[in-house]
Amino acid sequence: MNTSAKMILVLTLITMISGGVLSSWDGYTAPKIEQYRLEQLRQAVGDVLPAHEDYEKVEADGMTFYVGKEGAATVGIAFLAIGNGFQGEIRMMVGMRPDFSEITGLSVLEQVETPGLGTKIVTDPSNKENPDWFTDQFKGLVPQPKIEALKNQAPQNDNEIQAITGATISSKAVVDILNSAIEQARKKYNSTKEQVS
Amino acid sequence: MTDEEKKQQEETGEPPSSDGKSDDKQTSDSKTGTKKKARARKKKKAKKKKPDPRSKLFQLDRQPFILAPSPHQYTEDSVPKIMWSVVGAVAPAAIMAVYYFGMPAVWMILACIGAALGTEALINRIKGEGYTIGDGSAAITGLLLALTLPPSFPVSGGIIGSVFAIAIGKQIFGGLGANIFNPALLGRAFLQASFPVAMTTWTAPNTAKFAGIDAVSAATPLGQFKFENIMTQYGDLLTGNIGGSLGETSAIAILIGGIYLLVKKYADWRIPVSFLGSVFILGGIFWLINPAQFPDPIFHLLSGGLMFGAFFMATDMVTSPITPKGAWIFGAGAGLILIIIRLYGGLPEGVMYSILLMNSVTPLINRYTRPEIFGEVRA
Amino acid sequence: MAKKATLMREYAKGLWDENPVLISLLGLCPTLAVTNSAINGIAMGLATTFVVVSSSVIISSIRKVIPHQVRIASYIVVIATFVTVADRFLAAFTPEISKALGPYVPLIVVNCLILGRQEAFSSKNSPGRSFLDALGMGTGFLLVLFVLGAIRELLGSGSILNFTILGDWFMPWMVMILPPGAFLTLGLLIGLSNWINERRAEA
Repeated sequence: MNTSAKMILVLTLITMISGGVLSSWDGYTAPKIEQYRLEQLRQAVGDVLPAHEDYEKVEADGMTFYVGKEGAATVGIAFLAIGNGFQGEIRMMVGMRPDFSEITGLSVLEQVETPGLGTKIVTDPSNKENPDWFTDQFKGLVPQPKIEALKNQAPQNDNEIQAITGATISSKAVVDILNSAIEQARKKYNSTKEQVS
Repeated sequence: MTDEEKKQQEETGEPPSSDGKSDDKQTSDSKTGTKKKARARKKKKAKKKKPDPRSKLFQLDRQPFILAPSPHQYTEDSVPKIMWSVVGAVAPAAIMAVYYFGMPAVWMILACIGAALGTEALINRIKGEGYTIGDGSAAITGLLLALTLPPSFPVSGGIIGSVFAIAIGKQIFGGLGANIFNPALLGRAFLQASFPVAMTTWTAPNTAKFAGIDAVSAATPLGQFKFENIMTQYGDLLTGNIGGSLGETSAIAILIGGIYLLVKKYADWRIPVSFLGSVFILGGIFWLINPAQFPDPIFHLLSGGLMFGAFFMATDMVTSPITPKGAWIFGAGAGLILIIIRLYGGLPEGVMYSILLMNSVTPLINRYTRPEIFGEVRA
Repeated sequence: MAKKATLMREYAKGLWDENPVLISLLGLCPTLAVTNSAINGIAMGLATTFVVVSSSVIISSIRKVIPHQVRIASYIVVIATFVTVADRFLAAFTPEISKALGPYVPLIVVNCLILGRQEAFSSKNSPGRSFLDALGMGTGFLLVLFVLGAIRELLGSGSILNFTILGDWFMPWMVMILPPGAFLTLGLLIGLSNWINERRAEA
């Protein structure tokens, strides 16, 4: 057998074996990975919406909405808000009343903010009583005309939250992402409703 | 030629070029030459103890006979003399710090100087090459670092910063003269990255109560301008009755010390002039474009750590260019970086980063601004 | 090869004398990137050990079949297979760690430590020796990653493996869990190991 034929044969064999191993391994692990992803999603939606029995997925104009149902009634709408933080992308799940009048909950799914500072948008270990105080502030917030982040002072109005000391940029980023995402979600979701009715 | 070499030379009467050091390097690489190396070390030690008797042959009357490259003239200035003068120049700013911020400032300054000296002595001991704490350079590093920290910063943090400044900022590079970055600023950069909240929490000056318990939190003028668009009076900026790092608030105190340094020629006047000048000109251009959005150039000069940095940090002999042309480039570059950070960066102040960044290109500046040798023909 | 080393030596050399990180400075990208906590260091070290051991044994077994001209391609295919296996395993069974390690698990495939062992050792030695060599290298890598992660976690978060060591009085050094902390700590560790080696050589 000449060298080129041997080269082709050996490489082909190795690649085929490798492909075989990987496909069987994938068949074993893929369901588990998918299950974990769904669990995470269910948990995130459950976190941000008021009590509901189940949720259904609604696609509208490239955006995905998770509509929480209690019987036949819609109790809330959750959607992803994605945008740029201080260092990279922040992905958040936002829950709102069906008419987009009030935020029912906020949960940060992924972020790459500065550890110990910007990461306080998720949990703040320095606040022993309520490490989640930052995201908790958004519960019951009325995004009208839009959300404002205040520095070093307690919020007065329904559309204000307090920024994290030392992480003003991350706090403002969260607010900016929310403002634009809510605006978009409202338009897109309402447009699908009109089409249906 | 370093001082130590000079001293050795005077003792033995021969240039210090071919001692045990070169042998050492050759053998240290090969693993088999360990015994040789040990022997070389012993030789070196023996040499240090007993001066070569032949050295007397080379001595004429009182003056030793020296074969050495230039420079042949020495000034009376020595490293300790210069360093202790710098300490004196910084003193007005330190006094203002104590006046405005009370006992916490005293503790911070003492702790930082103590930690810097202690670290220096410890590393001297490990290296076994003689103690250098007497030359004042470690003390000045500790003092400068203390004065760039916020008044409410914990003293333990100041100690960590001083240890870092001396150990990592200076000694790891080989001690005074071999460091690339200004050690005090490197220490501060470490603290800024380590304790970002504590490093950006400011308290208002508290002249009434010397106990300093009732510290009121306040923003720096630059922070106020950047985040809340509030201007501060020039008078307060000059005297230092504002929030800010311990020693950077009073422009007048810094100017007194800075001008003393320039008059004594321990600092190159071109660096503060070009640094402050470029900030003034660039800040002025932005201000003329849009006075509503950008602060005026005088505010730029008087606020933040610019004065302190320009006179005491940027002029560090070790980490700034040695050529006159290089000094101009160094200052102008630092000013440009500072304006960019102040106007477009996420932080209100950028003196520390601007000087550290220019420190890193100092060797390059030295290389490209090397003066022509007399009679040299350009290629 | 002039003289065969003892089997014990084949394993032990990776721990210190030829430590992949401290001496050979191989695989620095994952070393610096994922060691912001001890658990991440361990996970990365274990994943890398798994890949280097499995691929060393396989490649050593088929070393006589692989034509010289396509050996690198063959090595990479084998390594990539095991990396994918490890990556999917972490994602399926320890999703939290998989998330923390991010893209650095798939990037094990370009870790020069692994390809380096195949080229330098497995392609010339029996599977048994290759196994020991790879296990030693993997253990050495794991140890350094753990130490690095533990130091950074201790100073950066006041804990080791999520157990709080330093109490409330401790102000965490944020910089240690940021990239500069990785460079500083690794530099000091390498300096320390050089110093120890020099001391040993002198004695």
